[in-house]
Amino acid sequence: MKRWLRHHRYAFRVALRRLRLHPFSSLANIVVIALMLAVPILGAAVLQSSQPLARQLAVAPELTLFLAPGTPTGQQQALLKRLQDQAGDKISDARLLPRDQAMAQLRADPAWAQALDALADNPLPDALIVTLKDSDAPAQQARELADTWRQWPGVDHVQLDSEWVRRLESLLSFVRVGLGLLAIAVVVVVLATVFNTVRLQALTLREEIAVARLVGATESFVRRPFLYLGALTGLAASLLALLLAWLAMAPLNTLLGHFAQSYGIDWSLRLPATPDLLLSGALIILLGAVAARLSVTRHTQF
Amino acid sequence: MIEFQHVFKSYGRGRNILADVNFRIEPGEFIFVSGPSGAGKSTLLKLMGGLEPASRGSVTVNGHRIDRLSSRTLPYLRRTVGLILQDAHLLFDRHAFDNVLLPLAVQGLEPAMAATRARAALEKVGLRGKEAMLPIELSGGEQQRLAIARAIVGRPAILIADEPTANLDHDSATHIMDVFRDFNQVGVTTLIASHDTALMARYAQRTLHIDAGRFTDLAGVPA
Repeated sequence: MKRWLRHHRYAFRVALRRLRLHPFSSLANIVVIALMLAVPILGAAVLQSSQPLARQLAVAPELTLFLAPGTPTGQQQALLKRLQDQAGDKISDARLLPRDQAMAQLRADPAWAQALDALADNPLPDALIVTLKDSDAPAQQARELADTWRQWPGVDHVQLDSEWVRRLESLLSFVRVGLGLLAIAVVVVVLATVFNTVRLQALTLREEIAVARLVGATESFVRRPFLYLGALTGLAASLLALLLAWLAMAPLNTLLGHFAQSYGIDWSLRLPATPDLLLSGALIILLGAVAARLSVTRHTQF
Repeated sequence: MIEFQHVFKSYGRGRNILADVNFRIEPGEFIFVSGPSGAGKSTLLKLMGGLEPASRGSVTVNGHRIDRLSSRTLPYLRRTVGLILQDAHLLFDRHAFDNVLLPLAVQGLEPAMAATRARAALEKVGLRGKEAMLPIELSGGEQQRLAIARAIVGRPAILIADEPTANLDHDSATHIMDVFRDFNQVGVTTLIASHDTALMARYAQRTLHIDAGRFTDLAGVPA
């Protein structure tokens, strides 16, 4: 066990020495990976910070069922009862808004009053206003109910007041898929960068590897410093990426703050949760070591 | 013990560098391998060290047939053989001390013990005080002595040296040969490829002469 630990300590020191021997190329590799890594960290920050916002805005999506002109009051009441019976578990409130009441509400708004005076009679239809309960996917639920109610006799048109929430959810889904693709790109960049670094180092260190074999080094002994090199590159790149993302938060939050305030929303970006960051860092370190392993096995066969 | 049985060695489809070589070396022998340049001396030593495989035949070192060892176990055999090649094969970006330390790091020896043994090996070859120097700062002879220190620091059962005194002046050569003899006297089997007939006359117990891949065993007779 002690011998095993000594071998690892030796390999770690050799890896550090090799990184120090080529400071500029080591730093360049770390910066390339870090920049690539900072983008998905920021993306994840946007995604995670937006989800509560979408939920908050979608608390009470509203649907308006405009009834066909001339629908008798009895049928209006029957429609109201039907939707309460069939979708009562999804509805928090449903009420009838007669056309005269709607007109009165509209006239109460000075911006509309003058325009409505020009009309000979009330053009508004009777309507049922339905407020849905909160759910995990409010926009989707609202859309499904609207599709059902649209088919009912006496219902002329259904207006989905939370359409924009659906668009926001679609946008977030798009960002989620984009982040997935970006994660794949990060994997490829880490693999390619570390693979190539180790390839160049293995070529430069041919003599050292040959000497180590001459004095009885096993292939594990030869490979181990390269694995540490890949892992250390991954670690340094992860830390630098985190620093870059953290530095980018302040200016982004200032800009977002102005934008969000104009919509009366309180919205700011936060870095992903610490366990998520630790897991991502560990994966990048592992990826660096795997890339190094693939490369060193391939490029030390001499 | 080292044993060659019907060993042939060629590269590609070229001529045989070694052709049907047979000999046996008992533990503790001190042997010179002589022969003209290009005769196959270096190839013979590389086969003994497991650095190259034989084309045909069997090479047995310390009871292990080298051709039957896996790539995982061969390094452990190499640790029992101290090899000094014509080209010193030093690590030029590391200090003399770190060069000597390498075989002990490979073995995973405890650092304090490794440092003590590395200093002792440097002292044995007359390089004490030059631990912190880079190989490039050492003369050709000193580099050769550094390679010898690296070969002996692991306390191998067999020492194989290819022209170890070629770059040394007479006094240094004598000093190095005394080092080999000291090791031999404590039971280390020692093989030295050399052209130097004066050294052979002085130190050889047995000489293997090789010419155009063919072998002559001149037991007890310096070539």
